Amino acid sequence: MNYEFDWPLLLEEPNWGWVIEGVANTIQLSLMAWGFALVLGVLIGAIRMSKSRLLRFIGTTYVEIFRNIPLLVQLFLWFFVFPLLLPDDLMRAWNRLDGVPFFTALIGLSLFTAARIAEQIRSGISSIPKGQFLAAYSTGLTEVQTFRHVIIPYAFRVMIPAIASEFLTIFKNSALTLTIGVAEVTGAAKTIEAYTFRGIEAYSAASLTYMLTTASVVIFMGWLEHALRIPGLIGKR
Amino acid sequence: MDFSVINDNIEFLMLGLMRSFQLAFFTIILSLIIACFIAIGRVSSRRSIRYPSAIFVNLLRSNPLILIVFWFFFLVPLITGKTLPEFHTVLIAFVVFFAAYFAEIVRSGIQSVGSSQVKAALSTGLTYSQSMRLIVLPQALRNMLPALVTECVIVFQGTTIAYVIGMREFLHSTSLVAERTVRPVELYLFAAFVYLVICFAGTRLALFLEKK
Amino acid sequence: MTLPLVQINNLSLRYGDFVALDDVSIDFMPGTCVVICGPSGSGKSSLLRCVNRLENFDKGDVIFDGQSLKAAQNISKIRSNIGMVFQHFELYPHLSVMNNITLAPRYVNGVNRDEAEAKAHKLLERVGILDQAKKYPNELSGGQQQRAAIARALALEPKLMLFDEPTSALDPEMISEVLQVMRDLARNGMTMLVVTHEMGFARDVADEVVFMDKGKVIERNESGGFFDNPQSDRAKEFIDRVLQKI
Repeated sequence: MNYEFDWPLLLEEPNWGWVIEGVANTIQLSLMAWGFALVLGVLIGAIRMSKSRLLRFIGTTYVEIFRNIPLLVQLFLWFFVFPLLLPDDLMRAWNRLDGVPFFTALIGLSLFTAARIAEQIRSGISSIPKGQFLAAYSTGLTEVQTFRHVIIPYAFRVMIPAIASEFLTIFKNSALTLTIGVAEVTGAAKTIEAYTFRGIEAYSAASLTYMLTTASVVIFMGWLEHALRIPGLIGKR
Repeated sequence: MDFSVINDNIEFLMLGLMRSFQLAFFTIILSLIIACFIAIGRVSSRRSIRYPSAIFVNLLRSNPLILIVFWFFFLVPLITGKTLPEFHTVLIAFVVFFAAYFAEIVRSGIQSVGSSQVKAALSTGLTYSQSMRLIVLPQALRNMLPALVTECVIVFQGTTIAYVIGMREFLHSTSLVAERTVRPVELYLFAAFVYLVICFAGTRLALFLEKK
Repeated sequence: MTLPLVQINNLSLRYGDFVALDDVSIDFMPGTCVVICGPSGSGKSSLLRCVNRLENFDKGDVIFDGQSLKAAQNISKIRSNIGMVFQHFELYPHLSVMNNITLAPRYVNGVNRDEAEAKAHKLLERVGILDQAKKYPNELSGGQQQRAAIARALALEPKLMLFDEPTSALDPEMISEVLQVMRDLARNGMTMLVVTHEMGFARDVADEVVFMDKGKVIERNESGGFFDNPQSDRAKEFIDRVLQKI
């Protein structure tokens, strides 16, 4: 193998600008999609535990469809198919919109991840002993109060690691949006490689972004779990 | 909508689907073998084995698959000095990437069998390797089977990423027909449906194994 | 003439094909302590859970304090008048002992925080764990957890207390501290329904014993009579078996 490293190349324009834009887009896209996915995921998770059979069916159908179609296919559906299904004037308005790739990516990532979060909410809540519900009901708390004061505060702590790891998943999955033209960090690295043939430098910059973010989220979550720990619970149950 | 376009191109599309299956199949077999060694390395008592295994796993798990594929497309020709067929290059990238994920599943499978099981086995006079083979591994395998099946579904979904480097798997075949016939709606919906059916069957199987 | 506090009329309950309660009719007078015993699967815990409608019974009805549970619109209000103690305590692990006790008074009865805490203070003193108020359930011993759970149930000033095998999950050395709290309650005139295998408690504290088997009430007697002179063969057999075990 003979390869001459040229690390300063990354700091030259336009490469540096691409990297910065890529990192910014990746972080912005992941954070926004994570927020939407969390709200939608909690909603669908709740629907799946409702007493109404119809609502449960809707929730289950959503989860099965959105987690079983590969994310890349979903992105293509939103990017290539969805605008064609709109009425003509709406489609024209959509195509005139600035940043269509970004919006498409946001929709695709959010809906895909919401299905995964809904599953985690459900398994988090079903991991709570049934006796907790009985105890709360026996003291006269209503169903809403039981969830509000007893089940959710506890389930939330149980689910912190899963919700954090969903952020990391969305963060890595956002790389797929380069296929529909979002200038995120993996796409930026690919562009630099294409122009300069300096693959190691370019991809190192992207990998570093992912690894540093992963490490900081892991450290932050460790701190958060410690801060919210329930005294006496570790090593029991 | 006119789905006859699917029928007209079904052979070409199915060829792509076969390629997706091939990639998933070889990825699963090869990465699972490597994963077993890494998993044993992860629970080793020797630091010189445990640390490198942990670094390998965490390095790959914190990067997106698509970036790993790009890395290998750059590195493989650089290291070997020649261009391998794209299927082989993608396969190497996939095997390395998914080995890290399978390794974590195998590791938690091994750790799910309590050490008291080993002690109980040893107390009845079995040797260490006998108790591993007869007591721990069968239980570990049963415990990790649902997660393994789920991961296989993820591998199959992941094969779509080979589209990015132009390998003619199912999604790529679909997009080629979509462009040629200018019928993206029918074709992408068809592809989504095919993936949905296959992956739904996989996740149901995982659920069934979990309940058993 | 006093009316019964709990009237159970032709109550039936099934889980799929399994008949948990088979046309049970029985009533309980205020101020009495009744022990319900019987082999496992006899329906005694199911009966208890029907008394505050934690189980939705198929047929029959429960009348609590003159109100039909089947017809009740606001079951939460009725439940707040019935305290319940569980085998596995079921304290809320993420709340301190104090907050476990004050949660329901504050949110069900709308009592303000200071008042609820003052009341909890007295209850913790009564069950002998005042020094544990700020701790979390999992930092307590099993016996202390169960006493905290009793305090939680008492915080709503219930007219009736249900105990579902309150000592079954406890280490032997902690059973007596929980039974002592229950004994004091009975002595102070609380109406209690207790599912338990503690035959000593049944003989010494309970006013009456109800024996169940296969979803039916087989026998009901004052506690002395039940042990000295059981009427049915099944009860005889049961008493022999439990007493032998001790």
